[in-house]
Amino acid sequence: MTRASWNRLAWIMALTLLALPFVFPFLWMVSAGFKSVTEIFGAPNLIPRVWRYENFAEVFTYQPFARQYFNSLYIAGVVTILTLLISSLAGYALARIRFVGAGLIMLLLVTALMMPDEVTIIPNFFFIRWLGLVDTHWPLILLPVFGAQGVVATFLMRQYFLSLPKELEEAAKMDGLSRFGIWWKIAIPMSRPALAAVAIITFLNSWNLFLEPLIFLSSLEKFTLPLALSNFNDSYGLPLWNLQLAATTLAVIPVLIIYLIAQRQIVESFALSGVKG
Amino acid sequence: MTNSLSHRSGAQARAPWLTLQRRDAIEGWLFVSPTLLGFLIFFLGPLIAIFIYAMSDWNFLSGEATFVGLANFEDALLANPDFWLVLRNSAVFALGLVPLNVALALFLAVALSRPFRGVIVFRTIFFAPVITSAIAWAIVWKFLLQGEGGPINQMLAMIGITGPNWLREPNWAMAAVIVTRVIKMVGLNMILYIAALQAIPRDYDEAAGLEGASRWQIFRLITWPLLGPTTLVIVILTTIGSFKVFDHIYQMTGGGPENGTLVLAFYIYQQGFQFFDIGYASALAIIMFVIVTILTLIQVSLRRKDDA
Amino acid sequence: MANVQLQGLKKSFGAVEIIRGIDLQIEDGEFVVFVGPSGCGKSTLLRLIAGLETISQGELTIGDRTVNDVPASARGVAMVFQSYALYPHLTVRENMGFGLKVRKVARVERERAVADAAALLKLDALLDRYPRQLSGGQRQRVAIGRAIVANPSVFLFDEPLSNLDAELRVHMRSEIASLHQRVATTMIYVTHDQVEAMTLADRIVVLRDGRVEQVGAPQELYERPANIFVAQFIGSPKMNILNVDAAKALLSGETLPQSATQCGVRPEHLQVGSAEGAGLRGTVTLAEYAGAETLLHIELEGGDTCLALHRDGTPPRVRSGVTLTVEPSRIYLFDQNGVAVPTAA
Ligand SMILES: Nc1ncnc2c1ncn2[C@@H]1O[C@H](COP(=O)(O)OP(=O)(O)O)[C@@H](O)[C@H]1O
Ligand SMILES: [Mg+2]
Repeated sequence: MTRASWNRLAWIMALTLLALPFVFPFLWMVSAGFKSVTEIFGAPNLIPRVWRYENFAEVFTYQPFARQYFNSLYIAGVVTILTLLISSLAGYALARIRFVGAGLIMLLLVTALMMPDEVTIIPNFFFIRWLGLVDTHWPLILLPVFGAQGVVATFLMRQYFLSLPKELEEAAKMDGLSRFGIWWKIAIPMSRPALAAVAIITFLNSWNLFLEPLIFLSSLEKFTLPLALSNFNDSYGLPLWNLQLAATTLAVIPVLIIYLIAQRQIVESFALSGVKG
Repeated sequence: MTNSLSHRSGAQARAPWLTLQRRDAIEGWLFVSPTLLGFLIFFLGPLIAIFIYAMSDWNFLSGEATFVGLANFEDALLANPDFWLVLRNSAVFALGLVPLNVALALFLAVALSRPFRGVIVFRTIFFAPVITSAIAWAIVWKFLLQGEGGPINQMLAMIGITGPNWLREPNWAMAAVIVTRVIKMVGLNMILYIAALQAIPRDYDEAAGLEGASRWQIFRLITWPLLGPTTLVIVILTTIGSFKVFDHIYQMTGGGPENGTLVLAFYIYQQGFQFFDIGYASALAIIMFVIVTILTLIQVSLRRKDDA
Repeated sequence: MANVQLQGLKKSFGAVEIIRGIDLQIEDGEFVVFVGPSGCGKSTLLRLIAGLETISQGELTIGDRTVNDVPASARGVAMVFQSYALYPHLTVRENMGFGLKVRKVARVERERAVADAAALLKLDALLDRYPRQLSGGQRQRVAIGRAIVANPSVFLFDEPLSNLDAELRVHMRSEIASLHQRVATTMIYVTHDQVEAMTLADRIVVLRDGRVEQVGAPQELYERPANIFVAQFIGSPKMNILNVDAAKALLSGETLPQSATQCGVRPEHLQVGSAEGAGLRGTVTLAEYAGAETLLHIELEGGDTCLALHRDGTPPRVRSGVTLTVEPSRIYLFDQNGVAVPTAA
C-alpha cells in the first residue's frame, strides 16, 4: 500500500475509535432493554443470553406508557404547528414591512433569544397556577411557543424571508394580493427549507422538553416521555434498570430511525438554526 | 386641516387618514402581535416579576411574603456557602465543557469536511446524540457508569483497571457529566464547523500547497484564522448552552454527590421547586439572566461586525 | 389610459433624500424614458409611481386621481420587473392570469384576456410551462404579458432588458416599441442605457442625484443639451469637452460669447484633416477600426485628449499629426457651471 492509503486507514481507525462512545450507549441501551435484572449487572455482553421480551410489556403496565407516548407526540405536533404559524408571521413582518417599532421589537426579542427557561420559570409557574392550568398540557405548549424557541424560529424565518427575491412579492402586491395573501400565497410557498428547519427543531425540542413537564405535571397519564422515562423507579427511588432501558429504547429508536431516513434534512436544519439563530 | 401646499385645484388634495405608511404600520403590528403578546406575557412580564420576587422573602409553603430589599442577594453572595459552590461548579462545568467540545468538534469537522467513502456514516454517528433526548442519554450513561457491576467498570476490570464509582465521587461525577454532555452535543458544533470549512474556497490551500506548506501549516496559517469568526460564535453559544444544562444533571446525578455537580440551572430549580424559597431562587434567576445577557450581547455584536 | 403628473415629489430613506423634488407632466399615451447613471434614483422614482414605495412629500396624480395613498394594486398601473418576478410555482398561464384571479374576474373572461395577450406576444405554445422551463427572452415576454393582461392605464418598466444578451436586447427593444404602437397606453420606462432611451422614447427624462437635469425629445436632448452632464450622457461615443481656446482654434478664430468657458464637440462632428491645414492640432495615439467607422484617440497640443469618428476614406495613421475643425453650428458652449450658453449661430 502507498503512504497515502496507510494515512487514510489511520484516520479511519482513529475516527472509528472516537465513534465508540457515540454508538455504544445506543447499542447497550437496546441490549439491556432485553435483559433480566440479574443479567444486566452480570458479565458485560452485548447480546443477551436470555432475551426477556416481557420488559417491553411491563413498561406499559408499570405506567400508562402508551398514553404518555401519545401525549409527547400530540404536544410536539401542536407546538410545531403553532410555532410555524406565529414565527413565520412575525418573521415576515420584521423582514418585509417597514413600520415604526420594528427595530425595538427586534431588540426586545433578542433578549429572549438564548435565555434559559430557568430564568423565567418561577413567575411563569405562578401565572400558570393562577390560570388554573397546572397539571394540564397548556404550559407545555404555551411556554415553548412563546419562549426562546419561538424567538429562534422567528429570527430564522426572518433571515430566510430576507434572502428571497423581493420583486416577486412586489409583483404580487401589484397584482392585488393583500399583505396576508402575499405572505400565504407567495412567501410561505417559497420558504419550504426554512419552514422544514423550524418544524424539525421545534418538534424535537418539544419532544425532549423536560423542565416544564417536571414542574407542571403530577398525574401519570399526563406525563410526557422524558418525564415518564425518569420515573421508572422502585419504591425506594432506585431505577428499575431493565424497564427504564426498555422504555428508553422505545422512546429513542423511532426518532433515530426517522433521523437515519431524513439525516441530511435534519442536520441541515440544525446548521441553519445555528448559523442564523 | 387646510391644504397649505395648494398647488392643485383638486378637491382630494387632503391626504386620507389611512395613508400607505399607516397601512404598513397596522399590518406590521398585526403580524407580530401574536409573537409580541406571547413575549410580553411569558417572557418580559416574568422577567420583571423575578426582580420583584427577588426583593421579597417569600416561602411558597408558608405563603408569607415580606419585602426584604437586597437581602436575598446578600444571602447569596455573603452568607450562603452553597452559592459559591454552585458558582464554582458552573464555572468548572463551562471551563471543562467548552474547550473539550470545541476542540473535538473542530477535529471531527476537519476530518469529515472533505468527502471520502464512509464520511456520511461518521457524520451521522457523531450527530446522532444531538437529536436524542437528554434524559434518555443521561439514563443510559448513568447505567453504564454504575460503580459496581456497571458495564464500563466491568470492561475496565477486564483489562485490569478498577474503575471508580463514577457518579458517587464529586470530582469523577463532574468529569463524567462534562464528558457525556460533550459527547451528546459535539455533533452540533461539528456541523457548524463543517459548514464554515466548506465555505472556505479550496484555492487557498491549493495555492499554499503549491508553495510547499504541509497540511499542518495550511491548517494553522490559513484554515484556523479563517475559522476565527465561527470559533467565536461557537464558543459563546456553547458557553451559554453550558449554563442551560438541567435535565442531564437532574437525571445523572441530581446535583450530587455532596453537591459536586450542583450547577446554577439546577440550583434555581432546587431552591424554587424543592425548597420553595421563591425570593432566593429569583435572585439566582437574575444572576443567570445577567450572565446570559452579557454573553448574548457579545455574540450579537460579534455577528454585527461580521455582517458589516 | 391616463396622464401622470408628479409635483414636488420627494422620497427619503431615513435621513437620506434620494428623490429631491421632481415635477413632471406625462401625457396620455406617451412613451417616457427615465435615464441616468446607476444610483441616481430612477428605480425609486418608478416605484413611487407604482406604489411600491411611500411618497415622502409632494403629490402624484394618475388620471384625475391623487394616488399618494392609493395602494399599488388600485392605481391602474402594471410593472415589468428587471428580474421578471415570475411566480416559480405557477405556469405561464397562471402567472399571467394571477392578477385577474386575485381580483375575482370570471374564469372565461380571465382566459380570454390571457389568450389575447399570449397571441399578441406569441406565447401561445408556452402557456403550460413553468418559468424555469423558459429562456430569458421568453420569461421577459411572459412578464410583459402579465402586465398586458392587467389592462393598466400606465405601464411601468424597470430596466426590463438588462438581463438579456446583446442580440436579444435589440430584438426585445423593437418588440416593446411596436407594443407601444399597438396598445397606445402610457408607458414609463427606466434604463441606464442611453441608446435604449433614444430609440424608444417620445420624451426622455435625464436624472442625476434625484433631480431632473433635462426633459425633452431624443433629438432635442442630442441637439440642445441643457448642460454638460446631459450633453455627455446622451450620444455615443461621449461628447468631448474642451476649453474655449480649443473652440477658437476649431472654429479658426470666431468670436465666442464672454460667458463661455468650456466647449463641447461630438466625436461624429469633428472633421479630421491633414497636419498642414488650419484648425486644432493634435496627434493620433490610437485608432479603433470598426468597419463603417474608425474611432480616433487624439492627443491635443495642450495635453488633452479627444475622440473623433472618422467615416469616409482612409483614416490617418497612428502617430500622424492631424488638424481638427468643426462646423460652427455643431459646437456647444457652456459656462463655468456647465450650463449651456446659446451660440451666436
Ligand atoms: N430601500 C432603500 N433603502 C435605502 N436606500 C435605498 C433603498 N432603495 C434605494 N436606495 C438608495 O437610493 C439610491 C437610488 O437607488 P435606485 O433608485 O435603485 O437607483 P437607480 O435605479 O437609478 O440605479 C441608491 O443610492 C440606493 O442605495
Ligand atoms: Mg434601478
